Amino acid sequence: MTTPRAQLAARVAAALLGGYVFAWGFIAAGMSLLFAAGMEFHDAEFLASALGLLAFLAVFLWAFAARRVWLVWAALAGGGALLAVVGSFTQAALLGGAGA
Amino acid sequence: MFQSFRLAMAWVHTWFGLVLGFVLMAAFFFGALSVFDREIDRWAIPSTRFAPQPMPSFDAILRPAFESMQPTPEAIAEMRPRVDGPMPQRFDTVESWSAYTTHRDPVVALYAGFDVPNAKDPEEAIWAYRTIDPRDGAALPDDHLKIGSGFFYPMHYSLTLEWRSLGYWIVGLAALTMLAALVSGVVMHRKLFREFFTFRPDKAALRSVLDLHNLTGVVALPFHFFFAFTGLVIFAGIYFPVGHTQLHGLHDLHERLEADETGLPHERAGTPAALASVDAMVEEAQRRWAARGMAGDVGFLALTHVGDANGYVSVYRAGTDRIALTGEGIHFKAATGEVLREDPPPTAVGRVSEFLTGLHLQHFRHWLLRGLYVLGGLAGCACIATGFVFFVEKRKRQHAKQGTQGARVVDALAVTTITGMVLAALSILVANRLLPGDLPARGDWEQRVFWFAWLFALIHASWRSAPVARGERNPAWREQCWAIAALAVFAVLANWIGTGDALWRTFATYWPVAGVDMALLATAALATFAARRLKADAVVIATQGRTVAVPEAAHG
Repeated sequence: MTTPRAQLAARVAAALLGGYVFAWGFIAAGMSLLFAAGMEFHDAEFLASALGLLAFLAVFLWAFAARRVWLVWAALAGGGALLAVVGSFTQAALLGGAGA
Repeated sequence: MFQSFRLAMAWVHTWFGLVLGFVLMAAFFFGALSVFDREIDRWAIPSTRFAPQPMPSFDAILRPAFESMQPTPEAIAEMRPRVDGPMPQRFDTVESWSAYTTHRDPVVALYAGFDVPNAKDPEEAIWAYRTIDPRDGAALPDDHLKIGSGFFYPMHYSLTLEWRSLGYWIVGLAALTMLAALVSGVVMHRKLFREFFTFRPDKAALRSVLDLHNLTGVVALPFHFFFAFTGLVIFAGIYFPVGHTQLHGLHDLHERLEADETGLPHERAGTPAALASVDAMVEEAQRRWAARGMAGDVGFLALTHVGDANGYVSVYRAGTDRIALTGEGIHFKAATGEVLREDPPPTAVGRVSEFLTGLHLQHFRHWLLRGLYVLGGLAGCACIATGFVFFVEKRKRQHAKQGTQGARVVDALAVTTITGMVLAALSILVANRLLPGDLPARGDWEQRVFWFAWLFALIHASWRSAPVARGERNPAWREQCWAIAALAVFAVLANWIGTGDALWRTFATYWPVAGVDMALLATAALATFAARRLKADAVVIATQGRTVAVPEAAHG
């Protein structure tokens, strides 16, 4: 993580992979929570995906603007995983704890 | 690591823009052509040059066509790995029959989905496709490529790389890059505006390239953002298949709830049933639309669980008169023709979704907007192209002094992506007119010509690229412009001689073909103009012959 080249590679990977994980988590959590709140399934899927794509764009740019790359990785991979867990928990609750 | 937010954005803009700009260019160019995909289809398949037709009678025309449809041997071979046990050669359980048409289609596309016994995913169907003349039901030869809707259109979202949906992912990444380039470009532009005033006159050429880059980027900014964003939204299910993987349970729950609520059976009953007159159902649907004051063109007609007691028929209104693909579906029991359900008006979110996808795919009738779409798409191409040129012009003299090849390689790739892509598109049209009409797998040959022409453009651009390493211009730009002009004129002549449809005749009688011919002639004129300008520039540069240093401002 010392040479500029490695630094850049870490940022590009954080922006693409970290951003993807974060967007996935965002969509999973958003979709399941909107559905739980009574929204029609495909509406929830569309709305969460559209907002998730905009979130992807925002964190993608932030990955390059942020001062510390480890913070980007922590926020995107950690936050994305956490959001995905929220999605699975919501699903499990809606299905009566049967099929997370 | 970047000293400022602005420099970070400049890095993203320059390098992501460079690497994915080549893909973006294809998405914008072939997207712009897809706006007139039906018209290009007419040009490419002369036997379909007649007026758009409404959805034909199901009972007289569609039903016999559907009943004779079976998956191709290729589709069966492709399906085989996803089946446990023996693969049947004939499919008799029809899961769905459907037909789609728009206000621009003389021919109608038919889709038949069949149950596959022992499929690993029991939901997966095997598909058969056919295009028919709706006036008599005659099938079009399926090896005649619809160059517009069957090649340029998929090219713009998948590069026709179907393997593991790889093309969709590459174009998706390019679309994300487009969004990032627009945001980062605006961030850079604020500072650049001040730097305009510090430019000296001898950088006029470089500055005008940047002006054009900013102009085409900023003027059409909402257009670019909208199309890149909605393109991602349309394929969000491919990029983020959350509902089919992680949240599959919720999806299944929704399907059960939906079947209960709508009364439209999700499964077959298992008992055979006859099919009542579908024409009578369409008539009833049109009566109900008319009662609501709506036009009665059918856009999509679908039969589900064909031949089964649970079968139903869905009739959807064409999206000709509003921003939607189709809508106001009315569903009938297939065996009796009784109405099962009228779709309720869409929800607020549903309307937003319909608007975004409808405005991108544009199946509604609005010829002026259709024309503006092409201009917007070409503005996107100009923006990306000037981005490449700026990248090269800014570095090539410096690279020449250092003896590095970076600018030379980028320039050759830029030639390939800009003029080379136009050449490839023209080549497939010319091949379409020159290949024998009865050549087996004709469409495959046309596609081969397309890829070989593009490859040839790359080889030519690389072979002629040496001057760039000396800080001069690649003559391939000019030479490929001349080739474009010649091919475009040749395509118009080939259409005239091959089909008898001269421009002055189609101009009065058949606009789809006249429009394509006129676009080809305009392309030839523009390419001639560009080639002559490049020649004049080359003379000026040769007499000037001094190096121009460029400040390392933005664009890293």
